[in-house]
Amino acid sequence: MIDLQERFIERRSFIYRLFIVYFMFGGLFLLVLYQIFQLQVANYSEYEIAALENKTHEMNIQPIRGVIYDRDGKILVNNIPTFNLISIPNKVDDPENFINNIKNFIDITSAEENIFYEKFKRKARYNRELVVKTDLNKQQIASFQVRKHNFPNLFVEKRYSRHSDYPNILSHALGYIGSPSDMELANILSEAIHPRQETIFSYANGFISGKSGIEKTFDDSLRGDFGEKIYEVDARGKLLKEISHIEPSEGKNIFTSLDLGSHITANNALEGRMGAVVAVEIDTGAIVTLFSSPSYSINSLSNGISNNQFDALIKDPKKPFFNRALKGRYPPASTIKPALGIFGVQNKLIDWDFSIDDPGFFTLPEDGRVYRGWKKGGHGKVDLDKALIVSSNTFFFSLAYRSNIDDLAEHLSKFGFGKKVCLDCFDEDEGLIPNPQWKRNKLNSGWSRGDTVNLGVGQGYMVATPIQLAYYSSILANKGPINELSLIQNTTDNINSSMHFDNFQSSDWTQLHKAMTDVIDSPAGTSRRLKDLKSFQVAAKSGTAELVSLDSKEDYLLIRENETQRDHAIMIAFGPMPKPRYAVSVVIENGESGGAVAGPVAIAVLKELIK
Amino acid sequence: MRLLKFKRFNFFYDPYLLISIILLSFIGLIVLYSASQESSSIIIKQSIFVFFGIILMIAVSQPDPAFYKNISGLFLVSSLFLIVLTILFGNEVNGAKRWLDLGFFTLQPSELVKIALPIFLASYLYDKSLPINLKDTIFSLLIIGISFRLIVFQPDLGTSIVVLLAGSYVLFLAGLSWRFIGSAFAIFILSLPFLWNNLLVPFQRQRIATLFNPDADPFGTGWNITQSKIAIGSGGIFGKGYGSGSQAHLDFLPETKTDFIFAVIAEEFGFFGTLILLSIYTFIVFRCFYLSFNARDRFCRLTIGGLSLIFVTTIFVNLGMVVGILPVVGMPLPFISMGGTSLLSFYIAFGIIISMASHKKLIQQ
Repeated sequence: MIDLQERFIERRSFIYRLFIVYFMFGGLFLLVLYQIFQLQVANYSEYEIAALENKTHEMNIQPIRGVIYDRDGKILVNNIPTFNLISIPNKVDDPENFINNIKNFIDITSAEENIFYEKFKRKARYNRELVVKTDLNKQQIASFQVRKHNFPNLFVEKRYSRHSDYPNILSHALGYIGSPSDMELANILSEAIHPRQETIFSYANGFISGKSGIEKTFDDSLRGDFGEKIYEVDARGKLLKEISHIEPSEGKNIFTSLDLGSHITANNALEGRMGAVVAVEIDTGAIVTLFSSPSYSINSLSNGISNNQFDALIKDPKKPFFNRALKGRYPPASTIKPALGIFGVQNKLIDWDFSIDDPGFFTLPEDGRVYRGWKKGGHGKVDLDKALIVSSNTFFFSLAYRSNIDDLAEHLSKFGFGKKVCLDCFDEDEGLIPNPQWKRNKLNSGWSRGDTVNLGVGQGYMVATPIQLAYYSSILANKGPINELSLIQNTTDNINSSMHFDNFQSSDWTQLHKAMTDVIDSPAGTSRRLKDLKSFQVAAKSGTAELVSLDSKEDYLLIRENETQRDHAIMIAFGPMPKPRYAVSVVIENGESGGAVAGPVAIAVLKELIK
Repeated sequence: MRLLKFKRFNFFYDPYLLISIILLSFIGLIVLYSASQESSSIIIKQSIFVFFGIILMIAVSQPDPAFYKNISGLFLVSSLFLIVLTILFGNEVNGAKRWLDLGFFTLQPSELVKIALPIFLASYLYDKSLPINLKDTIFSLLIIGISFRLIVFQPDLGTSIVVLLAGSYVLFLAGLSWRFIGSAFAIFILSLPFLWNNLLVPFQRQRIATLFNPDADPFGTGWNITQSKIAIGSGGIFGKGYGSGSQAHLDFLPETKTDFIFAVIAEEFGFFGTLILLSIYTFIVFRCFYLSFNARDRFCRLTIGGLSLIFVTTIFVNLGMVVGILPVVGMPLPFISMGGTSLLSFYIAFGIIISMASHKKLIQQ
């Protein structure tokens, strides 16, 4: 036993030591309290958000894409519903029994059954929906509806697909939709409220984006805004209940300037030949016809096409995917002659009284090289009026010969050549106006006078697209610049006044229109055979674009055996005269004579537009 | 320190400890109801534990402390024997054998050692002169070492460390020489790398690594601590309300009924609620502090000191883990967490403390 003294020391030592331990725990207590304070008071909002993010699961709701209308309010592209039979696996106890019950009234294929079983467990665990059957027909929907009360775990849901009633006629103007690329998807989702969340699809195809045409150019406004559903979820991600629901806002409808009837007309007139028709409403610059042939079905492209079918489209030598109206590069040929005439008058190289003698060819003074006209023996005495009506090459060869190439190139650009003319077209080609600088850079050779002479009849290096030709035709019709072309109904003017044509008077324009009208109406006109096709006066200029440079007609007869080397038929036209409302351009590849082949198409389209 | 005299027998109790522990037990039941997703079967089972625990505590406080001094050796030896039985015949859960299935109750004997060891050491050291000589020190360390090693063998690192601390507290309070403490501390520090490599199994090392960087793998090893912090933090000042903790109720928070129940309290009752809980704990601890100063003899002093420090240690290991300043080790929150042996062992511990506090005046030695 220890004595009293020792007991006193012992007790003091105990208290002292217990203090030390308690002191340590006091420190620990403060540390814990500090940490709790940090969590609950100082950083509360941060953890509040974290807890909220934990327990909520946001899902984007895909908006419905806008409808595309023609200028008369006819629907060109619409969303049509398909009906899917969808189950809620979380509420299904016995999947096999469940499927067998459905089989009693709706046929389920074994493939569909297998997919269902395969996905069932996972979908049930996370309380997600599972598609049992897609694309129900009316009878199947009806037979489900009468048994609906027996299936609290089953419902029919609408899923849309993109559809046009005119899938082949407006393909190139409207374009098609498809699955977005990764970059497009990132862009699409960046507009959603929660970019990385799951999406509830409204379309059978899932995410969609415009791939070409109007679907592409106006993709942003057609798409609409994602809605959102917020669910409460547990730690495993299982959906528990819906907390909030914001409806998606539908995409904006696009009211295009396109005219359905003129497309049908163009399609019938071209009969699948390779070519393009573009028509413009002169007052507004609105594109009413943007047709390229041959084409493809936008419905099958938008809603799934087999690889074989797709390969066949890609490998088709007629290139149905190629939008000839916007991207086809053709020599404007004789259709350029009115622009040359204007240039000559403006620059006082010629006037309406000026005439030359046309022996059927032009000899380049420098080297004696001969440039032939289309008519052996020539047209005799030719002034500007007659040169346009009979399409005298010699007249324009000699006019071009006397022209300054840089001035001429600048002049041609006023008509939209060599640049984009459409505000909202998808993937438009710029064509080309050659000039000395271009030739040096591209071909590494000097400009010759012969190049200028060729340009005088729209041959040589110059190429133009059908839409440029239509724009050019509109400017001729309007006697001056017009609005930049557009595919949508637009009332604002954006005419660039610096593009007016100085020194080309109103009387000059009247004479020009008269000459172009006589291309059809005069017995000597190159397109006189169109005279009886029309019910109103039309101003026109035909062209026959040579693909191969030849010296004689005999040589051409040899090469025309090969269809792909035949000349392209080109026509520009506007009417009704004398107050033209529409201008049109027609290109038919390997169609040979512009007036005879492209001409009737142009007239038919104008008639359809004006009727 | 109250004594109710009845005609036939005396009733020994301490109102402060009794009331605060019963209060904690009721808070525990209330919180557990929410933490168990309103499971009535769990609440009924736990209520039975709590009821018998309180009865047991009151019963244990009736005998004179001398009784515990006398049976301390037997208590420790039988507890250690049960551990050996557990290792041989226990239920294996996640590779650890910690439980003995008694049919109506699964016993975790290591929890008993937590109390038996300090009482035994107190009974061994109460009459030794200061400072404790080398022979007694070595004997005490040997007993601590055996107990520790047996529990490590199960393996149950959390409990084994608490047992190690339980023995060390008593040895320290009994007057272990400072020189020895100094050298032991130095050896401990120097052997840390060895302990890290040899004593800890990889998942334990991982847990410690996670403590310092929970964000490294928030969905894997860092999940528990990340979700616990979110639960506590999102409780804010006044909490989300009883039964409305999303972290607890949507299964984000792990082990809501046991180790992480404090996070449920913090989430549903906020900073305010946690302060109330901590106040009750603090009150109990200070009461024990006071009782140990005024204990009637050295045995009682050492026992109250040792047992109360285990109580404090358990609380802080649990809180430290839940708030993210200590690694995750399985450690319940006393009187709140659902659980059998751990809960009962604390009722027993406080029964003994009350016995030592309330028998003071009656039998003065």
